Amino acid sequence: MAGKSGRSINNVPESPIKKMIFSWEGILVILFILVNIFCAFFSEFYNLSSVLRQMPIYLAEVFLMLPMAYILVMGEIDISIGSIVCLAATMSCIVCNTGAPFIVVVLTGLLVGTACGAVNGLVLTKFQELPTMIVTLATQIIFRGIAEIVLGSGGSISASNTAGFTAIGGKVGSVPYILFLVVILAVIFAVVLGKTTFGRRVYAIGTNRKAAYYAGIHVQKIRMIIYTVMGTMSGLCALFLVSSSFGANTTTGNGFEMDAIAMAVFGGISSTGGKGNLAGGIIAAFIIVCLRVGLGQRNVHAQVILLIVGVLLVAAVALPNIIGEVKRAVVKK
Amino acid sequence: MKKKVISALLCATMVLGSVCSVFASESETEAATEAATEAAEEAGTEAAEETTGGSSAEGQKIALVGKSAGNAFFEVAAASFQETVEAEGGTVEVVYPETATADAQIRVLDNLISQDFDAICIAANDVNALQAKLQEAMDAGIKVSSFDSAPNADSRQVFVNQAGTEQVAQALMDAVYDIAGGEGQWAILSATSQAANQNAWIEAMQSIMESDDKYANLELVEVAYGDDEPQKSTDQTAALVEKYPDLKVICAPTTVGIAAAAKYLQDNGSTCKLTGLGLPSEMIEYTGADDAHSCPYFYLWDMQGLGALSAYTTIALVNGDITGASGETFTAGDLGEYTITDAADGGTEIILGDPLQFNPDNIEEMAELY
Amino acid sequence: MANKSLIKKITGSREVLLAVILILLFIIVTILSPSFLTPKSLSDMLKNNAVTIIMSLGMLCVMLVGGIDISIMSSLALSGMAIGMLLKYEHISGTVLPFIIAILIGTACGFVVGLVISRANVPPIIATMGFMYIYRAMGYLISNGGEWASAAALGEFKDFATSNFLGLNCVIWVIIICYVIFFFFMKWTRTGRKIYAVGSNPSAAEVSGINVKNIKLMVYTIMGLLAGLGGALQVAVYASAMPDMQQGGEMDVIAACVIGGVSMNGGRGSVIGALLGSVILATIARALPLVGIDALWQNTIKGVLILVVVVVNVILQRIADRNALRGREM
Repeated sequence: MAGKSGRSINNVPESPIKKMIFSWEGILVILFILVNIFCAFFSEFYNLSSVLRQMPIYLAEVFLMLPMAYILVMGEIDISIGSIVCLAATMSCIVCNTGAPFIVVVLTGLLVGTACGAVNGLVLTKFQELPTMIVTLATQIIFRGIAEIVLGSGGSISASNTAGFTAIGGKVGSVPYILFLVVILAVIFAVVLGKTTFGRRVYAIGTNRKAAYYAGIHVQKIRMIIYTVMGTMSGLCALFLVSSSFGANTTTGNGFEMDAIAMAVFGGISSTGGKGNLAGGIIAAFIIVCLRVGLGQRNVHAQVILLIVGVLLVAAVALPNIIGEVKRAVVKK
Repeated sequence: MKKKVISALLCATMVLGSVCSVFASESETEAATEAATEAAEEAGTEAAEETTGGSSAEGQKIALVGKSAGNAFFEVAAASFQETVEAEGGTVEVVYPETATADAQIRVLDNLISQDFDAICIAANDVNALQAKLQEAMDAGIKVSSFDSAPNADSRQVFVNQAGTEQVAQALMDAVYDIAGGEGQWAILSATSQAANQNAWIEAMQSIMESDDKYANLELVEVAYGDDEPQKSTDQTAALVEKYPDLKVICAPTTVGIAAAAKYLQDNGSTCKLTGLGLPSEMIEYTGADDAHSCPYFYLWDMQGLGALSAYTTIALVNGDITGASGETFTAGDLGEYTITDAADGGTEIILGDPLQFNPDNIEEMAELY
Repeated sequence: MANKSLIKKITGSREVLLAVILILLFIIVTILSPSFLTPKSLSDMLKNNAVTIIMSLGMLCVMLVGGIDISIMSSLALSGMAIGMLLKYEHISGTVLPFIIAILIGTACGFVVGLVISRANVPPIIATMGFMYIYRAMGYLISNGGEWASAAALGEFKDFATSNFLGLNCVIWVIIICYVIFFFFMKWTRTGRKIYAVGSNPSAAEVSGINVKNIKLMVYTIMGLLAGLGGALQVAVYASAMPDMQQGGEMDVIAACVIGGVSMNGGRGSVIGALLGSVILATIARALPLVGIDALWQNTIKGVLILVVVVVNVILQRIADRNALRGREM
């Protein structure tokens, strides 16, 4: 869909790489079907209702994948989001336990997330020469550290007033609300990235930051916005996470950043910037969810599941490149 | 160009190779679990040999959820759990979350609820976070027991406690008293500042120290946290020894912490001694009554007994022999009769027994087991 | 020529600045806790952080070519766990053989990562993230699903970390040897300079006849080699092998390099910088419990300190750049 307009700003428009990425979504759809067939045969409990039931906790990570895709397209990375989720979940549980109305709880979660994202954005835009990885590594330690201090010894809090959280964790029939929200947000994020000037600018920054700057794009403003939105979405993720655990602890959200990055990259979004679109990322997210649910239902060892995800990740990026090399080699001959 | 083709082919084979290794490793894990079961059989948990007439676990499907993979301490109990249930005619699936977090355990529980398990026995990574999922499981008719570390009272039917908090704290306190010679400075090296088990023991130790004049001359100078990482535990131990030159005893109620501290103290020939909770196989090099060893004796509970008792408890829950209410009694195979009692957190628990002491006399023998 | 000496001055002064930060840190910690600045305490500190200090060298090479490697601690766990299990089941013994095996496994791990990155053009962060999962899972699988190899099982191998040579602990000798080798390698060998060339400008390097792909393959292999060495050291120093050892430790190594002034875009950084960066991190880790900071606050303060150090570094760099510019205008 977004392919024709803004997928990649490349000086060689008909490069084979572009074609490859163009077809990547097609490959993903086939893979998605294959994974589902495989899981259905692999696990006797794998069916639509069990997948829908198990989905919410994975879908919470898709919230993180959406803005992460923007960050990756810019050629940057944010590894602090797991800790933002932790801090936002902690603070919203605390506010919830004071007896505040649920809307305040939601706002707290979103605001804490936004604030954390803004801190990342501020440091990164004020000191542009700092690598994003090291700044978000430091804030990763800091945000989780603050949550540790707030939680004190014991390191765990449970939300006493769970009515609100139960409500957002609810379902229409057997389809959880979160699925609708994910789809809506995914469409918004995909359209903004693929069809608007803002999205084009993000690609421009990812392709060539200096050129983008000289072309009059407010690079720092855009980065600030994206990192702040990343924080807000982490807050949203935190709220849905709390809705499935009714609590938070110091390990909440641990490793979510890697899951989100893995989904995006598997979907064909290049971490060196300037390439990929969200449609791929979303299909990839569902492939990973289905695979994990299916393998998990047969109680495959957790490390083996991670191993498969690791192989998929490397293969997803390596295979198109290798095929491209081979094709080019053949053509040249 | 030939080179490129060759390198591309190489990469393709490599990727294929890794894919193959996935499937190879799957069978490997199966082999590994088989080996573990066999080892447990050889180790001979006699409890499982024959049943004392009570109700069997025929056809029951039970899931055992660990805290994380790669924990030697848990493996022992899991093997014994599996052994016991299988001897009773049931089947066990041991499942690990991918990381030692409550989030990962929630996913595991989601998976288990989708399958037709009769019972789930869980060592919880967090007190509160599993409540929603465990209640969902109980609503679906799955019995929920827990062992090693308990989820809160609302999320379980019964908790199999390895040893009463009071008993552990008392044993450790007496060990500190004994090793320090009745007076002087001592310190605690714990896991993380959030570890629920450790915090409960430390609190109990502190209240014992305050309530009894016997311990009046002991001074607890600091509670340090090594996060169950060898590197950080070593840093913390070194800091304790440097900060308090007169420190007589460090008490480390955590398996990784005690081994790291024991190594540091022994390598440096420190006069400070060590006790706490540890695995015999990890501690055998450091345990001895003389000055060349850093740890005179330490404690742990009967891990195999814990696994077996948890198994019997879970079976009894499924059979309806017990419901998890306080005051109920049941027969746990050869382990004898157990009574469910009220736990401090408002739920109910079954206490396995007193902690076991490991000293130079029995450590060789025990290190063979775990 | 003048330009070259200018760059030299800046990079030179960068390390001097870092050294000043380190000395300041030492003074502050010593005032707060006098026992910090004793030979024994310092040697303890180096020994306890040997893995990070040595692996920063590999990360330096990787980052010089503009890459990154987050799979290193998984390679470390795989190689460490492999020798742990081999020693435990008495397939091997002694000290030298385990080291060689661990280094070989690490090198192989690094070589595969390098192949995927250099030949299949996979972005380093993605490739190494995949291999982070893969190698860690392999580490678990060879541990029979969670066995530990403890002190008693390791035999004489663990004595390496406690024995001294010429009054210094063997582990510290390993650090010294590694740094001396890398210092010469990076500064005075053709290959070492090629790494810098590839990092500063890959296309220029390619044009001038450097095989960029091979250089990339080489740096990841070096990284793997050091990860293997790190695995052996980890097992020796802590006298135990666990499949989850050093999980998350790769971030410490990366942080050490960045603090040491290694640029994540490649081309800039030095062996001395890597040393200073990792020693600064080691000092922070050692000092936090010593100066009596509440355990709950230690992580937050560590994060803030890392942030402060990199920000101060940037500010100093800006001042230096401005001065350099002014000098040129005059």
